[in-house]
Amino acid sequence: MKVFRTLVKTESKLALRNMDSILFGILFPMALALILGVIYGEKPAFEGAGYTFLQQSFGAVAAIGICATGLMGIPLSIADYRHRKILKRFKVTPVSPGLLLFVQVAVQFAIALTSYLAVYLVLKLFFGYKMIGSTFYFLLSYLLVAIAIYGIGMLLASISPNLKTANLLCSLIYFPMLFLSGATVPYEIMPKALQGASDIMPLTQGIKLLKGFSLGLDLNNLMFPIILLSVLAIISFLVSIKFFQWE
Amino acid sequence: MNPVVKVEGLRKRYGDKTAVEDLNIEIAKGEIFGLLGHNGAGKTTTIECILGTKSMNAGTVEILGLDPRKQRKQLFERVGVQFQQSNYQDKIKVKEVCEITHSLYKKAVDFRELLVTFGMAELENSMVSELSGGERQKLSVIQALIPDPELVFLDELTTGLDSKARREVWKYLSKLKEKGLTILLTSHYMDEVKALCDRVCILKNGKVIAMDTIEALTKQSPYEDFEEVYLWLTGEEDE
Repeated sequence: MKVFRTLVKTESKLALRNMDSILFGILFPMALALILGVIYGEKPAFEGAGYTFLQQSFGAVAAIGICATGLMGIPLSIADYRHRKILKRFKVTPVSPGLLLFVQVAVQFAIALTSYLAVYLVLKLFFGYKMIGSTFYFLLSYLLVAIAIYGIGMLLASISPNLKTANLLCSLIYFPMLFLSGATVPYEIMPKALQGASDIMPLTQGIKLLKGFSLGLDLNNLMFPIILLSVLAIISFLVSIKFFQWE
Repeated sequence: MNPVVKVEGLRKRYGDKTAVEDLNIEIAKGEIFGLLGHNGAGKTTTIECILGTKSMNAGTVEILGLDPRKQRKQLFERVGVQFQQSNYQDKIKVKEVCEITHSLYKKAVDFRELLVTFGMAELENSMVSELSGGERQKLSVIQALIPDPELVFLDELTTGLDSKARREVWKYLSKLKEKGLTILLTSHYMDEVKALCDRVCILKNGKVIAMDTIEALTKQSPYEDFEEVYLWLTGEEDE
């Protein structure tokens, strides 16, 4: 426990000093929430909808934190640690290098949760947002989406031979997911063809799930994303462990 | 008494190239053992094969009676390691590096005392990236000593240090040796080797060409100065 505490404390400080995760994971979604709030205010999602546009968008904007920490924060810091041979140094100490990775995940997830909370507060305080569905189930689904996306992030870290490739792969996956999954540009305003392409992305399914729970929609429609994300999470974690390299 | 480090028949190849060939080493408790040789002779490869951070093609390694590959956690509670190149997290402070290292061990010494001993006390809150080469080097030696080890591996321990700092490090290591610390080190400085080492092993192209005490090796050669002895043994002395 002492090791875990010390590592989390130091890694959190490093994350704060580095600012990347804070900027992309927390400040960016907060700004987006503000902009959406100013544009849409209390307008309904569509004519005759039982919920507002903001209520519909909440799940999507809250997912940006997961996306930034999972597809940038985690894979890039692991690749960086390998590149700097920090993992190798830990290998000649009693600590299991796995713990170091777990600490990374924990710190990044804390940033994602902070992001969720910050987006929620912006929408609630300035635009009177209220979650229709159950917060508890929403958080459960948030956890599932995080596990699935973090699994992809770990996978990226495992298969990248070096920091350069990791950077490239992360950008190739992060930016399309960020812009086409509905996290930034609302899924509902995309043309049909783009929606079809967007549906392939795991984050799109994750956002559907988050939207569903935040709007209190029928659980039956959400079974597909739940199963898909669970399978994806299991596969990516298994593959990333199999292909993991300390150096 | 059982040797602290026991290496038998170590062989390491990179593709067709043999990096280390049939290496046998036994290091006794309290001994300072120097692994010498030119760049590329196989010193670092040997250390990494012994530590288990590199795989080996043949041979067995026992450290403190333990297998470094299978009993890693147990073993590294009692062993300190300084790698040739130490890298640290981006934007991390000296104090934080020490705190992390300190937290990894069940029993560890007060790193502030080590910082004072090595003249680094006032750098506690500095970023590691802002340290000079010598200061970084001292920091990496401190990391190896924090676990209060029974055995330390020091790969090029004083590279980049000024004469005064080198002497301070030697003095401190000699003091630890008196308390029973065993040291395996590599160095390119023969004055350092002479000041510290009880016994040395000289590698050339991955093969052992000499292994004995410094006095014995000096006697074999026509020279007095150990640097000359070393060059004579490796066949590189000026004609």
